[in-house]
Amino acid sequence: MVAEHERSLEVVDIPINMGPQHPSTHGVFRMVLMVDGEKCVDVIPHIGYMHRGGEKLMEAMDFRQGIGYCDRTEYLAQFSAELAYVIAVERLMDVQVPERAEYIRVILTELNRLSSHFMFMGAFGIDAGVFGTSFTYAFPQREYLQELFEEVSGDRLMYAYFRVGGLAWEVTDNFVQRCHEVLKHTQQGIRDIDELLTKNEIFIGRCQGIGAFTADQAIAYGLSGPMLRASGVPWDLRKDEPYSVYDRFNFEIPVGNYGDVYDRYLVRLEEMRQSVSIVEQALEQLPAEGPIVAEKLPRRLRTPPGEVYAKVEAPRGEWGVYLVSKGGDKPYRLKMRSPSFCNLSALREMCLDQFLADTVMILGSMDIVLCCVDR
Amino acid sequence: MTLPDGQEPEAKPDDAGQPAASAPEPGAEQPSEAAPSTPEAGTDAPKAEKPPAAAKAERPARPAKEAEPKTAPRVAPPAESVNEAVAAASGVTLSAVYIVPDWKGESVAVEVSRDDVPAVLAACRDDERLDMKYLRCLSGVDWQEEGLEVVYHLYSLSKKRGITVKTRVSYDDANVPSVASVYPAAEWHEREARDMFGINFTGHPDPRPLLLPDDMIDHFPLRKDNPLQEIEEWQGDSLREGAGEEEE
Repeated sequence: MVAEHERSLEVVDIPINMGPQHPSTHGVFRMVLMVDGEKCVDVIPHIGYMHRGGEKLMEAMDFRQGIGYCDRTEYLAQFSAELAYVIAVERLMDVQVPERAEYIRVILTELNRLSSHFMFMGAFGIDAGVFGTSFTYAFPQREYLQELFEEVSGDRLMYAYFRVGGLAWEVTDNFVQRCHEVLKHTQQGIRDIDELLTKNEIFIGRCQGIGAFTADQAIAYGLSGPMLRASGVPWDLRKDEPYSVYDRFNFEIPVGNYGDVYDRYLVRLEEMRQSVSIVEQALEQLPAEGPIVAEKLPRRLRTPPGEVYAKVEAPRGEWGVYLVSKGGDKPYRLKMRSPSFCNLSALREMCLDQFLADTVMILGSMDIVLCCVDR
Repeated sequence: MTLPDGQEPEAKPDDAGQPAASAPEPGAEQPSEAAPSTPEAGTDAPKAEKPPAAAKAERPARPAKEAEPKTAPRVAPPAESVNEAVAAASGVTLSAVYIVPDWKGESVAVEVSRDDVPAVLAACRDDERLDMKYLRCLSGVDWQEEGLEVVYHLYSLSKKRGITVKTRVSYDDANVPSVASVYPAAEWHEREARDMFGINFTGHPDPRPLLLPDDMIDHFPLRKDNPLQEIEEWQGDSLREGAGEEEE
């Protein structure tokens, strides 16, 4: 006869709702986690809370108005989003961008990558339980960068500074000097973060070996950017399909060995050092003067009919713009292939059979921007 | 400040699309620099005789422009392009092959019938000469009378080249076989295309709405029969076809 306490208990999987209002979901994101004890057996992500119909709105905006919407979509890497859009229009219109404008674009985009990765370092530290210290180191650095962007573009977040064919206006007179000043802070900031997190035993314990993706898995799920490179795929659009003037700089593509959360952190940290190096080279090569907008551009931009898929290496991965035009001054169809969206689609696969607490780290390591997921 | 076309701002009328009405002397001739290189013939004539105040209400009909082509001319790719390898590997007849602009250079686009899509994509992924393991993007396009289109952008990380695969379906029969089993990356893209265009991906493992609410299953926002009426009301004339062109 079986004793009362030995009778087998019914085992059920418990659904746990995380989000949409949750500090670790980095925005308005909800996932339903089915847990068996501490292990996740299923993850159902729910997105779309931030969906604003951006692709539809951009069909009603002409090519210059659309630039502003790019900022609002990818609000941590605005210059990358703008760059992809203007590259798409320039390619259809066959516009040659002046060299000085190309260099300033590269400088700002790389500085933007730094500010975006600083944001990641701060937020990721909090996910790992650093309890705000990472934010206090990362955010002043981001602030220096944003001050520079504000001086150049006139706005702290929504820059709308790139134009089809070049830039909106000339940069400030002391731009080069200010960039050097900011880079000095940035390098110190990278060292601070490195010393704070990289060798921190608790941080390593929270990061290593979780959420690992092999190279084949990463490619099949369409991951890009640091997520893909952490899995050991040395694919970076700046090297492999160089746009703008990226083929003139020397820089390394950091790749990871294990594809886990810790590798994604390390790849981003090294990318920041490489970005500093790119900005320094670009500042050196920057032509002292010259036009910043292509000549003979009509006031009303019109493209010939056609289609183009333009892509840039944004901080989160490949930011693609599939632009279909029927002629005229507005896109007929504009699809934004956002890296956050594609990376997030692998969340379920990554979280399966992981501990509940680690799902927060896995989600944090993706560095998603929910506006860019939902568009 | 230098304007994009290199002229000084004073030499121009207002940016906001107001015609000669805001000039100090109404009805005066435009400064001759302001209308230098309008490509369409005949735009100068109605502008000069426009009454200053009621210009917008009784705007003279715009002279018929030369009919602009609505689609790009299709140019066949050079011999031994990637499309031949695709056709050989998949054994599928490609209904159209042409080049599309890529960043620096061109890439190849192929059109196939919808039933062939999984076979073509599987061949692109598995064939050693193609080795296109990466699905960059999957987009829906609404071509109105010509139906709905699904566009797949594939890329080979080893060969450093890509291909665009397209397929078209009609509104009444908007079913496309899902390729989520070939490329897991397609799963969310297909759900998004179903939300926005009502393209039904048959055999999809999880066809719930992704970006839209769960009960919004009969309304497809990105189709062209959903005009952005409110925006057009707010912005009025600035969105009118051809607005602002006289400023060129």
